[in-house]
Amino acid sequence: MSETIISVQNLNKTFGDHEVLRKIDMDIHVGEIICIVGSSGSGKSTLLRCMNRLEHQTSGKIMFYGKEVRDVQREINEYRSRVGMVFQSFNLFHNMTVLENCMLCTRKVLHLVKEEAFDRAITHLKAVGMAPYINARPSQLSGGQKQRVAIARALCMNPEVLLFDEPTSALDPEMVGEVLNVMKKLAVTGLTMVIVTHEMAFARDVSTRTIFMDGGYVAEDAPPARLFTNPKNSRTREFLSRYLAG
Amino acid sequence: MLNIFAIENPENSMEWMIFLANKYAGMFWKGTGLTLFIAVLGTLLGFLVGYVIGMIQDAQTSPGDHVIRRLLLKLIKFAAAVYVEIFRDTPMIVQAMIIYFGIRQAGVEITPVSAGILVTVLNTGAYMAETVRAGIGSIDQGQREGAWAMGMSPMKTMVYIVLPQAFKNIIPEMANTFLTNLKMTSVLNVIAVQELFMAAKTVGGNYYKYFESYLVIAVIYFVLCFAFNKVFNFLEKRMSGKSDYALAAEYMDND
Repeated sequence: MSETIISVQNLNKTFGDHEVLRKIDMDIHVGEIICIVGSSGSGKSTLLRCMNRLEHQTSGKIMFYGKEVRDVQREINEYRSRVGMVFQSFNLFHNMTVLENCMLCTRKVLHLVKEEAFDRAITHLKAVGMAPYINARPSQLSGGQKQRVAIARALCMNPEVLLFDEPTSALDPEMVGEVLNVMKKLAVTGLTMVIVTHEMAFARDVSTRTIFMDGGYVAEDAPPARLFTNPKNSRTREFLSRYLAG
Repeated sequence: MLNIFAIENPENSMEWMIFLANKYAGMFWKGTGLTLFIAVLGTLLGFLVGYVIGMIQDAQTSPGDHVIRRLLLKLIKFAAAVYVEIFRDTPMIVQAMIIYFGIRQAGVEITPVSAGILVTVLNTGAYMAETVRAGIGSIDQGQREGAWAMGMSPMKTMVYIVLPQAFKNIIPEMANTFLTNLKMTSVLNVIAVQELFMAAKTVGGNYYKYFESYLVIAVIYFVLCFAFNKVFNFLEKRMSGKSDYALAAEYMDND
């Protein structure tokens, strides 16, 4: 097995009395494409947000290359600059153009010179087919276009892992395809990805490992070939049958 | 040609207004200048105070930060909250008296104009702090998370992402504050600042024509505010940006 990038250890998260994550243990290795599936409220997004420290865990640890990411702002910033994230709601900066969105953090966090930041932005925008729109503002783009820019923006940081939090859930059905295609292209580049999704066909075809979450637990963690054809857990079976029927 | 400024023996209120405005033009001009000076400087510095306080009130520490850092921020936040509360809950005219006479009593020779500016700054700062806080609060949390997720510090996120958007949202309120200040400088006559209100009071006293004298400055206040309002509306439209964009043709060939 290749090197572990992120290791989630005995992670628990409660919102008041509500236990959202229970005793999560998970290792993410270099080159893996992990899809996390499960019904709404099963804790998948919260787990991803804990991984990027946007959510404070109640107990447990997040390890990055074997070293704990502590609750110190500087360490969190450094960690986040190496772990990218793509959101369901895109979160493109409204006060900036597409190009500025892609250059801001490479300039201000990685301190790249302007030319280098620009080259990176153009390279990644070209890869997602959004280079012609560098002068547009987020409000002038469709959902699918916004998400492709958001992916390019995250890639500009050269992340070691890229986390996707339901990247297609806010999109019209006809735009889901264009975003999934970009992600499929990324998958073959060897980038490590963790994807929370409801796109079962995508999870089955693209992931190297699929995780089914239920009630805050990791109910099943298996290669997609096994999880989708021969699930061990009864809840997984129930969940998948609903999706296959629908 | 009839020169309307050549009225020698004014008979009605209209003529008195013209007569007074003409005879004491210098005083009215000076008053207008001082009113504008205090309002502009006081408002700008007040905005600065408001932005700093508004940002402080939004600042957060994480549980892992050093205990002194967390304590310090709590202390600063508390002091800021006390300041905002005091200045929002007392009338500006009273603040002017207390600050002017308080400082003089402490042995510092402050001029009425400096005291007037200081009062305007502190008053504007307190109101602006609340406006900025609300403006910051109106920005979708996702904007911040988008920046944080790429390793931007909370401070950089504030400066590059949140504040520019909040600023745009609160421009109408900032224009409002300025216009309010322009008019509120009139209360500074209580500490003998020679602004417009003071000018009208003096001029009116010379001929016992208070009604006409105050009408003159009413017109001046109105014209000033009306003009600034138009300018602000124009700026706001300009700030909203272009509604279209040019495709970068050089990158059209994608694959």
